[in-house]
Amino acid sequence: MDRLKIERVGGVAGFGGPHLKSRGELALSDLSPADQKTVESLFADPKKVPASHPGQADAFSYRITRGSQTIEVPEHAVPSTIKSSVKDVLE
Amino acid sequence: MPCSCFIIPNDVLTKLSQDKKLSASVRKRMVDTVQISHELRELRNQAARFTSVAATRADGLVTLAAAPSVTVYDCKHTQTLPGTPIPKPKTSSDGSVKRSFNQTSKVAKFYEQVFNRNSIDDHGMTMMSSVHFGQSYNNAMWNGSQMLYGDGDGSIFVDFTRGNDVIGHELTHGVTQHSLQLAYSGDAGGLNESISDCFGSMFRQWEANQNVKKADWLIGRDIMGPGSKKKGFTCLRDMADPAAKHCLAPQPTKYSQITPGMDPHYSSGPPNLAFCTACVTLGGNSWGPIGQVWYRSLTGFGPTPNMTMKAFAARTRQVAHTMYPSTAAVSAAVNAGWTKVGL
Ligand SMILES: [Zn+2]
Repeated sequence: MDRLKIERVGGVAGFGGPHLKSRGELALSDLSPADQKTVESLFADPKKVPASHPGQADAFSYRITRGSQTIEVPEHAVPSTIKSSVKDVLE
Repeated sequence: MPCSCFIIPNDVLTKLSQDKKLSASVRKRMVDTVQISHELRELRNQAARFTSVAATRADGLVTLAAAPSVTVYDCKHTQTLPGTPIPKPKTSSDGSVKRSFNQTSKVAKFYEQVFNRNSIDDHGMTMMSSVHFGQSYNNAMWNGSQMLYGDGDGSIFVDFTRGNDVIGHELTHGVTQHSLQLAYSGDAGGLNESISDCFGSMFRQWEANQNVKKADWLIGRDIMGPGSKKKGFTCLRDMADPAAKHCLAPQPTKYSQITPGMDPHYSSGPPNLAFCTACVTLGGNSWGPIGQVWYRSLTGFGPTPNMTMKAFAARTRQVAHTMYPSTAAVSAAVNAGWTKVGL
């Protein structure tokens, strides 16, 4: 349950499609206590994140998987350690 | 003589000005006061006439307003917005700053000259951009109040300010926010993305003065990095052939191929193809009748956040008929576009 699998999707280029992927992985214990707390609260209620600005478009979202649970949250709610864990690749 | 003279009626003032018992200077001031009060009344009448004309022609006044301000900020590779303001972006030695300023100014001109629109909100809103957002950031976006551009990683993508269609795409998200207010999921999400591609592509064609046959209809051609090109990807999306192999983000071509929860950058394929087909069927310039029909359909009816693609298709068919009642070819072209994608 300590491993987090991250996938970044969306953006103007449509990451998450057949050719364009952005993925990362890290251990929950690699995060600072504050970031661990953020992740815990995201999994507890992923819908509770602050709303995006109305009209916003082309922002990234992050699919975070822990064990069998996957949540999808907007970039502005994701700790920077998680954001910087992904690598963009072509497939 | 104090100004309180203004509350004395003119006929009294005139009478007093002829009263020899008063000094010459006092009598002269009374004559002046009558004159001033007359001029003031004229001024008030003119102001009333102006207000009345302005009220009936307010839309025209909006278009007379000065061009919107265009501002650029430098995030210096952080994700903190807006970043440091650039005092003279037009002459900056930083290519990203200069490009975002120049192309944003041209998008303003495009909307003004082609669609008689004054900036993003049609009321002269400042067009604000932040460049060098994040580190090797592979994205550009509209955050609800401004544009932001990443530098790209130099392999998959280069600097996102290099795509004038990308800049037109992002600004159009602002236009949509201030008109149809489309949501960002389901049919409305796909339409939202498609409208940004349609106007981004139209802007690119307008800037190059290309007709629909000359245009390549590619989105993101100028931001593709060497790694993408090496694998044969020449664009993000191709409005004329959304499922093509050279697309980094190939899309469905039929409305029936859209699946629930699909990213709007993929579900925009069918409406993109419908627009392109309509333009090519009619010929001429994309920003001509077909572009005008799309613009009126986007801005002329107030917000419909959850609009379906079927409803938007019906609206463009209706608008084509209303705007060009004696040119059946426009309606036929719009119909051909939607029919091709199954709508
Ligand atoms: Zn977009």
